[in-house]
Amino acid sequence: MGRAFHLARFELKRYFADRADLAFGIALPIVLFAVMTGALGEDAGFRATMHVADLDGGSIAHRILERVEDSEVITVRRYTRDELADALGRTAILTGFVIPPGFSASIDSGIPASIIVEQRGSGGSEGQIVAGAVREASHEAVSAIELRRAVGALTSDSAGDERLDEAVQQLLAEVHIRPLVEVVTEPMHVPEASELDRLLAGIIVMFLLFSATLSARALIAERRSGTLERLVTTQLSPGELFIGKFLAGVGRATVQSFLLLGLAFAVLGVAGPLAFLQCLILALVVAATVTSVGLVVAALARTDEQAAISAVLVTMVMSMFGGTFFPTTGAGWLEVLSRFSLNTYAVDAFMGLFSGTGHLPDQGPELAVLSGVAIAGLAIARTMFRVSSSPLQS
Amino acid sequence: METYLQAEALAKHFDGVAAVEDVSFVIHTKEIFGLLGPNGAGKTTTIRMLSTILAPDSGDVRIGGHSAVREGDEVRKRIGVCPQELALYPELSAFDNLVFFGRMNGLPGRAAKARARALLAETGLDDRGGEAVKKYSGGMKRRVNIAIALMNRPKLLFLDEPTVGIDPQSRNKIFETVLGLRDEGTTVLYTTHYMEEADRLCDRIGIMDRGRIIAVGTPAELKRQVGDPGKTTLEEVFLRLTGRSLRD
Ligand SMILES: Nc1ncnc2c1ncn2[C@@H]1O[C@H](COP(=O)(O)OP(=O)(O)OP(=O)(O)O)[C@@H](O)[C@H]1O
Ligand SMILES: [Mg+2]
Repeated sequence: MGRAFHLARFELKRYFADRADLAFGIALPIVLFAVMTGALGEDAGFRATMHVADLDGGSIAHRILERVEDSEVITVRRYTRDELADALGRTAILTGFVIPPGFSASIDSGIPASIIVEQRGSGGSEGQIVAGAVREASHEAVSAIELRRAVGALTSDSAGDERLDEAVQQLLAEVHIRPLVEVVTEPMHVPEASELDRLLAGIIVMFLLFSATLSARALIAERRSGTLERLVTTQLSPGELFIGKFLAGVGRATVQSFLLLGLAFAVLGVAGPLAFLQCLILALVVAATVTSVGLVVAALARTDEQAAISAVLVTMVMSMFGGTFFPTTGAGWLEVLSRFSLNTYAVDAFMGLFSGTGHLPDQGPELAVLSGVAIAGLAIARTMFRVSSSPLQS
Repeated sequence: METYLQAEALAKHFDGVAAVEDVSFVIHTKEIFGLLGPNGAGKTTTIRMLSTILAPDSGDVRIGGHSAVREGDEVRKRIGVCPQELALYPELSAFDNLVFFGRMNGLPGRAAKARARALLAETGLDDRGGEAVKKYSGGMKRRVNIAIALMNRPKLLFLDEPTVGIDPQSRNKIFETVLGLRDEGTTVLYTTHYMEEADRLCDRIGIMDRGRIIAVGTPAELKRQVGDPGKTTLEEVFLRLTGRSLRD
């Protein structure tokens, strides 16, 4: 068994020596991520946008928004109530602000009112920055009103200095405890996992599968170059050879998914550390599955072209029907087809964890299917595995 | 004289076409045995059967007292194979290639590294052993190809055309290595298309044609079959026995 581990280590070394492989398996999905989040997610750069539905339209609301915009790093974008809900639903934005009707009037009459923040998950770092800016702008905007109220209280009540001080102290304390404008965060209830989550999971699984099946070409190359034949004349047994290749594939896919998942969690703030840990365990299962599919391709393909075409075909078909680009649930025949794609199970399981509410044990059926495919693939590949492409090899 | 390898009526067909037919010969312990023959004669196919890569259709091979067909594991402990085509991992260094195959042959890590360093020095590659093999010249690659086969100190070494396409310096380095190995007690099976090379190196020679062994003997014995051994070259023997028509 030591030889199998050593073989796996050696394979990994070869993998990391191959820059084209690295670029394809790791750099390309990262670029895709970046493009996707640029298109679907938050705006990039140091500028931030306050997505707001101003249902009040009053003078105080107007003043607050003006102050936010004065900060120069934040742009105010206005929505109707429905547009805002829709944008949040599509994950086009992660944080939206609602100024409720009657907001200005309420404050004018001294009754505290709230600006409501609707956010997905943590709302993203941009949302948090904007919420802070809105909070500050609100206090600035209403401080004048507070002052006017205080002065009003003074002029209507011609009492002595003591009463005056007392009234001011009382007012300040009141403002401190219950500011006139409160920015209240309301976490959104998300019924469906978002499109971004789907794409993230889909892209990760697609690239794992693509890399694993394309690595079949490396094995074909080894057959052709004679290194595989050479290995047969060493004391490495065919079983060890097979296990070594399998371990190397799993190791490689695990490194790949660790990097891609790490990026998704760190940069996009997909979910918390617990979800990340569970995703890594899931990634290990997915790695075993895609590796054994790759080994089946390597065992069956005779030529480089056959291996390349099989890899592209398997990956594209599985990804297409596996909910990578569009959901397949409730889509009739598409949903039936999707049950034959292992990407479906992997993507579903990842999305469950990405939403931050799922737990790995809840993905039991998906895990069972993935493990089943891994074991079946391994068995098939093991029986079909040939060292040489000549038909009469022992 | 002790027999180290004995091939008995080996046969191999590819898609119904015979590549090797009824091949029997022996190689004695500590001798360099040359296997000569035109292109397609069946030399490589024979070596692949002797080295447990291919199962023969019929016949058997005994190496060091073990059957290559039934006791592959025992045979693999005793052999080293240098294939006709370069079988290397080009993106890795010669050192890494050597250590890897050493470990696959059961050498512990430290021993594999020590052996790899010794062989790099032996084959004149020590100063560039850390470079990726793909940057090597043809001669250097050939030397690495041979060195890999020596990692496990084989009792029987198969060298399938080890000197193709290299300069006289590299070739002489390889001759020295092979002769040194024989002196240390290694048995060698050597194939080549260079007749003067076979004449110089080999203790005995088998000539193969169309899948069969058509003559076996020392270079002098073979020459005597054709004419005066003092005046005849091995090339003349070869052409007389195998004819002048092209094979491929
Ligand atoms: N894997 C294979 N599939 C089909 N035919 C094969 C295979 N390997 C060898 N042959 C055929 O068997 C015959 C013997 O080939 P082999 O490689 O053993 O010859 P050789 O003596 O080594 O030739 P060369 O000097 O060119 O290396 C040839 O006709 C070759 O085409
Ligand atoms: Mg040959």
